[in-house]
Amino acid sequence: MGKSWLRDYIIKRLIYSIIIAFGVITITFILVRVGPSSPADKYLANIAATGQDPAQVTAAIDARYGLDKPILVQYADYMGNLFRGNWGWSFSTSMPVIELIKTHWIYSFQLILLSSLFAAFLGILIGIYSAVKQYTKTDYAFTFISFTGISIPNFWLGVMLILIFSVKLGLFKTYYDTTLPLFSIDNLKALVLPVITLGTGMLAGYVRYTRSAMLDNLRKAFVTTARAKGLPERTVIGKHVFRNAMLPLITIIMFDLGSIVFGGAYLTEIIFGIPGLGQVSFNAIFANDYPVVVAVTLIGTFLVLLINLMTDITYTYLDPRIRYD
Amino acid sequence: MENVILKVSDLKTYFFTRGGIVKAVDGVDFELRHGECLCLVGESGCGKTVTALSILRLFDSPPGEIVGGQISRDGLDLAKCSLRQLRQIRGNDIAIVFQEAQSALNPVLTIGDQIIEQIRIHMPVDYTRARDRAATLLKEMGIPSAERVLSYYPHQLSGGMKQRVLIAMGLSCDPQILIADEPTTAVDVTIKAQILDIFHELKVSRQLSTIFITHDLAVVAEIGDRAVIMYGGKDVETAQVSEIISNPKHPYTSGLIECLPDVSKSTDRLTSIPGTTPNPIEMPKGCAFHPRCPKAMKICKQQEPPEIITSKEHKVSCHLYT
Amino acid sequence: MIRGLQDIIRKVRPHLRLNTRLINYYWQRTKRNKLAVAGLSFLIFLVALAIIGPFFTLDPTEVNFEEKNIPPVGFGIEQSVYNIETDEFTTKEIHGTWRHPLGTDSKGRDMLAMIVSGARISLLVGLIATGIAIILGTIIGVLSAYLGGWADNALMRFTDVMMTFPFFLLLVLIVFIFGSNLAFIVLAIGLTGWTGTARLLRSESLSLRTREFITAAKAMGASDNRVIFRHLIPNVISLIIVIATLSIPGVILAEAALSFIGLGDPTVPSWGIILEAGQHSLNTAWWVAVEPGIMLFLTVLAFNFLGDGLRDAFDPKSNI
Repeated sequence: MGKSWLRDYIIKRLIYSIIIAFGVITITFILVRVGPSSPADKYLANIAATGQDPAQVTAAIDARYGLDKPILVQYADYMGNLFRGNWGWSFSTSMPVIELIKTHWIYSFQLILLSSLFAAFLGILIGIYSAVKQYTKTDYAFTFISFTGISIPNFWLGVMLILIFSVKLGLFKTYYDTTLPLFSIDNLKALVLPVITLGTGMLAGYVRYTRSAMLDNLRKAFVTTARAKGLPERTVIGKHVFRNAMLPLITIIMFDLGSIVFGGAYLTEIIFGIPGLGQVSFNAIFANDYPVVVAVTLIGTFLVLLINLMTDITYTYLDPRIRYD
Repeated sequence: MENVILKVSDLKTYFFTRGGIVKAVDGVDFELRHGECLCLVGESGCGKTVTALSILRLFDSPPGEIVGGQISRDGLDLAKCSLRQLRQIRGNDIAIVFQEAQSALNPVLTIGDQIIEQIRIHMPVDYTRARDRAATLLKEMGIPSAERVLSYYPHQLSGGMKQRVLIAMGLSCDPQILIADEPTTAVDVTIKAQILDIFHELKVSRQLSTIFITHDLAVVAEIGDRAVIMYGGKDVETAQVSEIISNPKHPYTSGLIECLPDVSKSTDRLTSIPGTTPNPIEMPKGCAFHPRCPKAMKICKQQEPPEIITSKEHKVSCHLYT
Repeated sequence: MIRGLQDIIRKVRPHLRLNTRLINYYWQRTKRNKLAVAGLSFLIFLVALAIIGPFFTLDPTEVNFEEKNIPPVGFGIEQSVYNIETDEFTTKEIHGTWRHPLGTDSKGRDMLAMIVSGARISLLVGLIATGIAIILGTIIGVLSAYLGGWADNALMRFTDVMMTFPFFLLLVLIVFIFGSNLAFIVLAIGLTGWTGTARLLRSESLSLRTREFITAAKAMGASDNRVIFRHLIPNVISLIIVIATLSIPGVILAEAALSFIGLGDPTVPSWGIILEAGQHSLNTAWWVAVEPGIMLFLTVLAFNFLGDGLRDAFDPKSNI
């Protein structure tokens, strides 16, 4: 028992994740090949503008993408390319797609990280408070606010924040400047509104999940035992109840990160002009820069896969009932 | 009255719920004397658990509240003292052990963690000392490889072991009074015997005063010194256990005794008391037991019976004895 | 084959008879939740607005530069007007009129008319796309549970793969590849949003099979048919209703978000498109950004309140 079982579990999950990764790449490949417009068509729109001969360019692209080869060979090539780091060429920015990703991912990461910290920290605290003070006016108020937070379309929230703070009040007018260091004051100031925008939806969710997880545990027998020992109430709530509530909470939070956050970050970056991967993809869409759009989708998906894997392992490690079984 | 160490007088604990006021404890009186095992006996719903919880004010506070009465311990009224004073008593002077050890222990903390936590709250010892003490307690409870058990999680232990851990935890700060809430109810017969042995031991070796809550008269007979029979949130009869068994005065008590199956007799049906426990929101008028009482008289429907002391510390609340 | 179909219909029809008592019971429980009732009322109002509204409003596509950027009734805004003769900008204060109760946009189109058309779009997209997703998810989930074995495994692995894609990113990719036709967007949303439903329905089907009341029904001599129709389906329907109600807002927001970033159907006055235009005229016509957003917000809120209320009403363990 004990350690080797955990290692075996990790290996099992890792293999499973790799299988899913293959599935993801396959689906993406199918979408790309099945689509009405091949990468060449997307290029053609721009070729006309640059005055090159469409037929020649199409042939070159076809050869490059191997579109003249049988489909299974294409699939193998595609897979091989992905693994070797050849994610295509972005003609709208004139650099390999992978370079584009390398230069811009950090801004998305910063945005998502700060928003998640903001949302998790505040959300969990409010959730705990709300659960402990159930049925009071404060609880109802917080519940209502969290409903609101979940329901506000996050892109609208972003625009509203800009309207109120930048346009009407004149605050936070700085734009994100990539020439400055990541955590410079100006950049952080520029990140305030985006973090609030992205974080609010997440926060509302965390308040609800935390509250419900806490409520599930507050009425359990071991809580009365803890009080009977003479422990101060804050230890009872903070150590006993919360540790139990935290387990399913971690899972929910991390899964949420995967499904909702990336979409939200995409929109937030566009609204506030943050040069992250969402913005990159957005620009690529309107430049018809096919490989970039595909690449950003793939990156997002792989990240979700990674997060799911880590969540799984973390939860298994943390819950003593699973670990010592 | 030798050595009364805890005195409960006219305790009333009500629960104010959306469906109505639940008078879970409605005027209970008893005393606990040094070194004795006092049993609180009754069917489920009679208020015995709430009484025990009330001593340490452990019931959910909205909606529950102590609306009347006193709980005297060492010159302090536990019903009215501050939470801070109460916390110093909880787990320290008066400890309580719950039934259903599976849910009473925190599943994500080790046994050692949970016991040591309690020790360090009340005693100024460092971690190692506390851990040693915890191991000693487990050994005293007859738990093998106590050192290893300290790092186990509750789900890794059997039901009987968990109950022993709970008892060890209760004793960790050398309390004067131990309240045990139906410790033998949720376990099977062999474990039950072991646990009763433990309580015997404790009484002898530590002169521990115990309030033992149960619905099982057989357990009372085996381990109790005095018993308080409860019904409908009130105490209806109080006496030495031998008295109660040989000379029950309240019809409910006699009913309970008759319910005990006699192994020597062969019978087709088990005896039971007809009717069901009263709804705590709508108690019958007069004596709460009258709808089920074979000896009910007209006055029982109208007036609550007074407390009458018949003999040798035998107290009963019944109109039959006025 | 036709005989077979007739047989099936004859067998199924009596079971599909609505159980009015049960429906009434659930309705009573839902009614007690004031927020849910408020949500439902708003949605009824919205549906009415979407259906009959366009008959009473101005033409949302009518462009009129004379009347551009008029604020809603009760608001005023300063506009600088270029006077061609004097080559100067003069500021004039313009107020809202009842002719355009919600104001006009930068091209003079009536906001109220656009909002009402947008309601139609959002509701249609919401209902149809959710319908597709739910049907697909239910079929996959129930089938998976029913078939078991390797089929179950394969279907669930496939569901896992689809679930790994972040919903919005996948949607963007699909619309980018396949085009921005509204019908197609609806299809795309439906084809990407079924995974949660599939999971939930599979686990519900699996658990229902072994629940005690099923065993009890069988012990009483109920046939498989009866078990499925009288016991399983009512339980699953309530789950489906709750899932549907709580999925619609996500779908509506997805379509709005797509329109917002320009991937929506340009021929259609979706709230998202209006909001996008409004984003660029925050200084001159802030209401163009505020109004569609409020509508989206209220609609999503209403569905969430209703869905939450329904979920509590259907859950036998919650004390309503």
